Amino acid sequence: MKFKFKIILCIACLVLLAQLIRPEELSTAKAQTAKTLTGVPKEVANVFETSCFDCHSAQTNLRWFDKITPANFLVASHIRDGRKALDFSQWDSLATPQRNAMLYFALNGILSGEMPLSSYTALHPSAKLKEKDIALLKNYFLNNLVSKPGDAVSRVGQPKVKEVKNSPNGVAYLPGYRNWKAISSTDRFDNGTIRIIFGNPIAVKAIHDGKTKPWPDGTVFAKTAWKQEKGKDGNVYAGQFVQVEFMIKDATRYAGTKGWGWARWKGENLLPYGKTVKFDSECISCHRPERNNDYVFTTPLDIKDFKK
Amino acid sequence: MKLIYTGGILPFIILFICGCNSNPSGRINRQASVGNNASLPENPLEMTPMAVSLQAEAKTMSTLYGNSIASKRLNEVANYAPGSVVYLVTWKEKADSEWFGARIPDRVATIERVSIDGKGQKSYTFFKGPAWQEGLLLKGDREAIILSIPIATSP
Repeated sequence: MKFKFKIILCIACLVLLAQLIRPEELSTAKAQTAKTLTGVPKEVANVFETSCFDCHSAQTNLRWFDKITPANFLVASHIRDGRKALDFSQWDSLATPQRNAMLYFALNGILSGEMPLSSYTALHPSAKLKEKDIALLKNYFLNNLVSKPGDAVSRVGQPKVKEVKNSPNGVAYLPGYRNWKAISSTDRFDNGTIRIIFGNPIAVKAIHDGKTKPWPDGTVFAKTAWKQEKGKDGNVYAGQFVQVEFMIKDATRYAGTKGWGWARWKGENLLPYGKTVKFDSECISCHRPERNNDYVFTTPLDIKDFKK
Repeated sequence: MKLIYTGGILPFIILFICGCNSNPSGRINRQASVGNNASLPENPLEMTPMAVSLQAEAKTMSTLYGNSIASKRLNEVANYAPGSVVYLVTWKEKADSEWFGARIPDRVATIERVSIDGKGQKSYTFFKGPAWQEGLLLKGDREAIILSIPIATSP
């Protein structure tokens, strides 16, 4: 009995002593003044504040149990990763298109079931979104955050960029993608672009053979986006080139990035996107809800050879 | 007795074989894929994608495809040369279940073909898709409209 008591006492002492060790960001964190999302109706902003702000803003409202070591280390890592992926504290410094992109990203995280994390809602049940909250968000987005196409601008050809720099992670630009097949197209009313998703011959064969889970090594997708422009006939056409994004499958070479080489070249000068080698963690974070589909969002068309 | 036994077990064997061959993998947008249609001389989806467009009122989206002669226009500012064949495939749009904020092709509404022969003579053919509705499209001079669709250019 005495021995058991000693053990319990030792554990209690260790737990108490452990409280002296705390994650730096939590021990130095200062309570932030509540800030709402400027320009967003209060009831919509409230949903994001309640469900997302603890990990996706500087406005972290820690409960007593979040502060206990070792739980606080888990909380700190959630906040660290959360802010890296999406930080509502940046809201006031962002232009409207970036704000809209942030909101769509947040909503899609919610709709995919990824967010809020179930480990978080288990202890913070108020963060769990109700059906009426999701309906409110969808309704607000469809009525207020639908991008309008610009007016058509007359263009004569498109100068080709002769030398395109590699992506910061070493992925090289593949200039021949325009001769590949279109495995889908997308009307992105969230950001006013229209897209063609090109697939190389290996991708097209994999689709036809039904072998896309996982996609075979050598598969390449090129997702190309243009600004939506409204023609005189009222139809919307592909206007100014916005960007091309590549996903290159090589399970061995790209083992550290979920088997894919990720790259994006932006604008008519094809400038590589990303500041550091690890910029592609951003790509993976966005594609994470599709991990059961080998990180691919596109539901492709089957392109049959009629002669076979 | 033997026959009944064999007949009884046969569906299970067929089911087993089908089960083994079924595609456990990925999602494929089969509805939007162009089937082997006897009236279509070739599969337009096999050609080079040249342009995309949206028709908001009809809630449709189209892709313009071209053969190797027509697709030279991706790099050259010129008219369609003799020998060009282009297809305009138009789908009904549907919400993308993977991304709120996007629409993707649903069923094919129409397929239109314009070809230019060696003498520069143009001809137009219309193929009705399963999602076609009376009066959905096809206003005006379709041949001219299709050939004037702005090419989606890239650097």
